[in-house]
Parts: sequence; C-alpha cells; structure tokens
Amino acid sequence: MGTSSVAVPARGRRGSELWARLLASPWLLLAPAAIALAAVAAYPLIYGVRASFHAYRYGRDVGSAGLENYRAIFEDHTFWTALGTTAKYVALAVSIETLLGLGLALLVASQLRFSRFIRVSLVLPMTVAPVVVGVIWRLMYASDIGVVNPLFSALGLGKPNVLANPGSAFLGVVAVDVWEWTPLLFLIILAGLQSLPQEPIEAARVDGAGPVRVFFDHTLPLLRPVLMVAVVLRLIDAVGTFDQIFVLTKGGPGTATQLISTYSYNTAFQFTQYGRGMAMVVSLLVLVLLLTIVAIKLMRNAAARTSS
Amino acid sequence: MDVRYERASKSFGSTQALAPLDLTVPDGKFLAMLGPSGCGKTTALRLLAGLEQPTSGRIYIGDRDVTRLEPRHRDVAMVFQSYALYPHKSVAENIAYPLRLRRSAAAERDERVRRVAELLGIGGLLGRMPRELSGGQRQRVALARAIVRRPHAFLMDEPLSNLDAQLRLQMRVEIKRLQRELGVTTLYVTHDQIEAMTMADLIAVMRDGALQQLATPAELYERPANLFVARFCGSPPMNVLDGAVEDGSFRHPTGSIPLPGAEIRGPVKLGFRPEHAEVTDHGAPDSLAGEIYVVEPLGNETLVTVRLEDELLNIRAHAGFDRPVGERCAVRPAEGRVHLFDKDSGEALAKPGERGASSAGHAATAGI
Ligand SMILES: Nc1ncnc2c1ncn2[C@@H]1O[C@H](COP(=O)(O)OP(=O)(O)OP(=O)(O)O)[C@@H](O)[C@H]1O
Ligand SMILES: [Mg+2]
Repeated sequence: MGTSSVAVPARGRRGSELWARLLASPWLLLAPAAIALAAVAAYPLIYGVRASFHAYRYGRDVGSAGLENYRAIFEDHTFWTALGTTAKYVALAVSIETLLGLGLALLVASQLRFSRFIRVSLVLPMTVAPVVVGVIWRLMYASDIGVVNPLFSALGLGKPNVLANPGSAFLGVVAVDVWEWTPLLFLIILAGLQSLPQEPIEAARVDGAGPVRVFFDHTLPLLRPVLMVAVVLRLIDAVGTFDQIFVLTKGGPGTATQLISTYSYNTAFQFTQYGRGMAMVVSLLVLVLLLTIVAIKLMRNAAARTSS
Repeated sequence: MDVRYERASKSFGSTQALAPLDLTVPDGKFLAMLGPSGCGKTTALRLLAGLEQPTSGRIYIGDRDVTRLEPRHRDVAMVFQSYALYPHKSVAENIAYPLRLRRSAAAERDERVRRVAELLGIGGLLGRMPRELSGGQRQRVALARAIVRRPHAFLMDEPLSNLDAQLRLQMRVEIKRLQRELGVTTLYVTHDQIEAMTMADLIAVMRDGALQQLATPAELYERPANLFVARFCGSPPMNVLDGAVEDGSFRHPTGSIPLPGAEIRGPVKLGFRPEHAEVTDHGAPDSLAGEIYVVEPLGNETLVTVRLEDELLNIRAHAGFDRPVGERCAVRPAEGRVHLFDKDSGEALAKPGERGASSAGHAATAGI
C-alpha cells in the first residue's frame, strides 16, 4: 500500500522531470539561435570563402580557380595600398576615439552634475545609421552648401574643400568615424569607470597619491580589461567600415580613402571580379581573426593580473 | 600629534551615521573605538582620513584644522576594514607604495618593506599578487602597508578581524609594541572588547553613532557610564537585575542584597560582573535564591549559569566547582562590586558607598 501510493506520483514526477530537463538543457534553448545564426552568418561566410576560390567571367561562375585569386591580389599594388590605408584609418580613428572617450568618461564620472545631459547628447550619433551619417557629413563637407568651408574661412583658414584633396579627405573620413563612434567607447569606458572598486583608490589617496598618480597608478591599470574589450570591439568593427566611405568619397580622390572594404566592393561589383573581391575579404577576415586572437590573449592576461 | 574631533558629525541622507562627536586622542596614545556593528566606527575613521566630509564640526590633527584638506595632505596611514589592497600590484609593491609616493631611496625602501613583512609574518609572500592570498594574509599586507611609514596617525579599522585566534593574539602584541615604540597616535577600531581592553590606553565606546564613554580600560571596567557600556565590556557580560532599593538594601523577589551607604531609593537596575559573585548554599544570608542551570568547566575556571525565577545569571567559579545541575543554591555578589543604574535611562548611579553623582563618563581622561 505504501509502495503503490509512492510509485504513482513518482512515475508522474519522472515524466515531468524529463520534460523539465529537456526544457532546461542548453541544446533545446540554443537551437533557434543556432539555426538563425547558421542561416544568416555561416552560410554567407561559407559561400564567400567558396567564391574566393572560383573564377568569374562577366559575373558568372566559370569554375574553380584554385589559388589564382589570392595570387592576383597578392601581386595587386592597389590591394596593398588599400590594406595600408585601412590600417592607417583604423589606427588613427580608434586611437582618437579611445582617448576622447576616456577623457569624456573621466570628466563625466568626476563631474556628476551634467552627466545625464552629456550622456544623452553623446549617444545620439550612435543611433544614426552609418549611411545617414555619411550623407549628413557629405552635406557638411560640400564645397557649395556645406558648413565646413564657411567655418574654416571664418577662422581665416581658407576653404579646405575637405573631400577634394587626398590628405584632407583621409582626415575627413576619419573625423566622421570619430564623430560616430566616440560615444560607444565613452559609454563602455564610463560603465567601466563606475564599476571600478573604490577602496584601492581611496587607499591610494590616503597613502598620499594626487589625482594624476591615482589615475596612472590605479585607475588606468584597473580599467585596462574594460579598455581592451572596448578597443578590440571597435578595432574589429572599424576594419569593416564601408557605408560612410562609400557615401562620402567612394575611396577617392585617387586611392586616398580606399579601404579594403571599398576596394573589394569595387572589384566585385564594378569590375565583376567576384572571386578576387571575395579573396580580399577573406584575407582581411583571416587578418582580423588573428588580431582578435592576439587581443583576447592579451586581455586574458591583463584580466588575470588585475582580478582579485 | 594629537587628533581631535570637534562636534564632528556625518549624515548620509536622512541616516545619521555619526552624532556630533567630541573626542581627543592625546599625542602618542592608543585609542580603541569600540562598539557594535553599524555604530559609526568606520565613518569616524573616514572623516579623519579625509575620505568623507563631516556634515558639521571640525577635525584637527595637531594644531592644524584638516577639515577641508585632501587625504594626501593629512599624512595619516589607514588600514581599511576591507583591506583595499591594490589588486594589480604585488605584495611588495603594495607595501612599498606609500614610500614610493614619498620618493624614498630604493634601497631603504626595500629594506623597510622586508622588515615590516618579516614582523607580520608575510616575508615569504612578497612576490605574490593579492588575489593569491588568504583573507588573513591580505589583512596583514594591509597592516604592513600602513605601518611601513611614520605618519601623524595610524587609523586601523578592525585590522585583526580575519585572523585565527593564535595569530590574532600574536599580532595584538606586535601592534601594541610597535605603537609604543614609534609613539604614533593611533585610532584602532574594533568590536572585540578584549582587543580594546588589552591594547588601548583609552577606549571610546560607541553606540548608534554616539559616544557613550571615553575612559581607560580599567576605568571602563570599574565604572561603566551606563548599562550599554557595562554589558558591552566584559565576557560573559555583566548580570543585570531589576529591583528596588529600600532601607539600604537591594530588594529582589529572590532575596535582598545590602548596599551599605546607598543614598538613593526606589526602582533601579543592579549589575554585577560574573567574576564578582559566588555561588553558595541555598538560604545563605544576603544572597539571591536560585538553582544551578548549566555548568561549563573551562579548565582554569568554571562558568556557572544560575537560574533565578525567570532570569539567568553568569557566575565565574573556581575550577573545582562541582554542584550538580538542578541543585538549589544562592548567588551572593561581592560587597562593593555591584553597580546601580537608573531603571529607565540606564545611566550609572553613584556606586553604593561612594559620594557624588555619576562621574564615570567625564572623569575619563583624568588618569592619562
Ligand atoms: N556611504 C554610506 N551611505 C549611507 N549610509 C552609510 C554609508 N556609510 C555608512 N552608512 C551608515 O552609517 C552607519 C555607520 O556605518 P559604519 O560603517 O561607520 O559602521 P561601523 O561601526 O564601521 O560598523 P561595522 O562594525 O559593521 O564595520 C550605518 O548605519 C551605515 O548603514
Ligand atoms: Mg566598519
């Protein structure tokens, strides 16, 4: 009697346990996301890698080309120039954004009075689509109706015609990137600053450190993991910058603002060399992947060293 | 240098962490700030360190008004309750940091770091990072970082709370000796009354942000200013009974105790310490009737709990105490060792046989 009265609910419980375990298992929960991810990310990626090993004539796949596409871009002078420009663009834009973001975050973290206003006004650029950003700045830079030329001449600096000269065009597109992405770094760094442990900093102040020493001896080292994440994220993202450049300069004048992204786009869609365009993208992907691995390694080390 | 709080108070929003505090630590003295959790001890230290601005009042180090001064200009060393080690610096770098900021010569610095580390038994840990240390080791690193330099004052916030009993005893001795040797004014926060009693020249007992009594350890033990102080200092705590004084005797339902020379009358609370009473035979004169409730032999003495009607009393008895549990007995407080407190306010009344009103709280610094 005792056994049967226990066994019946037990069986029911076992069934529901199984159901619960299935519901709680990671696989079932991950399945929809995994399928979606495969559809939108993995398939195009595989397709692109495959395309980079194929030859195309007048936009049509004419069969495998082996490593021919890679050999071609390796010997392509313009490709190397574009790679260099990309590196310069990313390095300049991301360093300015990091320094600006850090400076603003420090200001806001210490001066809590205006922080809300600054935060809101700084987030606005991030909400604008990159293409729209490009259009806005193209109008501002425009030689006839733009505001940049009058502004510079008002300051007695002549009319720069920013996008018309190779040197200033490069700085012009970097400036747009800075305008759009500094807020992201600012926000991440601000969040990092506000979650730093306060006690070590208080201890340093009592030990005799002034604001500058506190910043370089403690705030910066403690902030390093967050800073690294922010910079790596931005680096990876900046390497693929396309929209604004395409709208602003299409890579010109000459090759002054030609990044791998715009050059591969031109190669694939203007010259219908899909295979070669894809080979460029894949090469860049591998490069970014390697960079990311190194960055993550560095980050792990830094995090391990600072976590208490 | 002496350290002085002048009506310094601190409120966080609507909560008052520290009521206006008047407190002076004389130059070179060791003051223990004693009180239960949340009574404002850490707040008081942070005010002195400059990490917190007082809501009102002023703070002096020596003759200098430091109320608005940055922490780094006050030259005090602090051991934080949460250690506050620099997580990205090694133990050696942590300890050396205050010296580095003062640009002391590298060789001398290393030597001092090594000596302090040896003193605290962490000499073998100098190369480690804080996260590789146990709580007790971290605490000793925090202590080392403070005592490595010679500030105007040491502020220590429960610096031994995380050590095992033996190490705590050892560190207690080391800190006390070091403090005497260096003669640096020290504010030492603790909620361990034994630590306070054994180490300090002066004890400030705090409760709910207010100073209850400032006195030497002996004074505190002999003349607690009120019931709170009386029960907080001493382990087991003082026994307290409700009753009334009539005709020069304390009357309790279980018996009466003569109070020669008592000038007051009416309802009071009577207190006596566990070590100031004896357990005798039932029906003995001048005693309170009860029965043995628990007997705890500790080796060197025996802790006896006696039940009087519905109250329990702690009595310290000799090691050979052998009355069985449940036996009827009586408790007789030692003559002249009882304390009387106001029934409502808990303030100490004049000790029976002594003249004058409650003077315990204010005669505090007289002995120093
Ligand atoms: N930053 C703060 N904001 C609000 N309230 C605070 C703050 N710091 C302390 N308090 C309050 O002030 C009171 C005193 O706190 P304090 O830290 O000084 O206590 P303490 O005596 O050091 O206690 P413990 O022995 O637990 O360390 C507490 O009620 C606490 O909640
Ligand atoms: Mg505290």
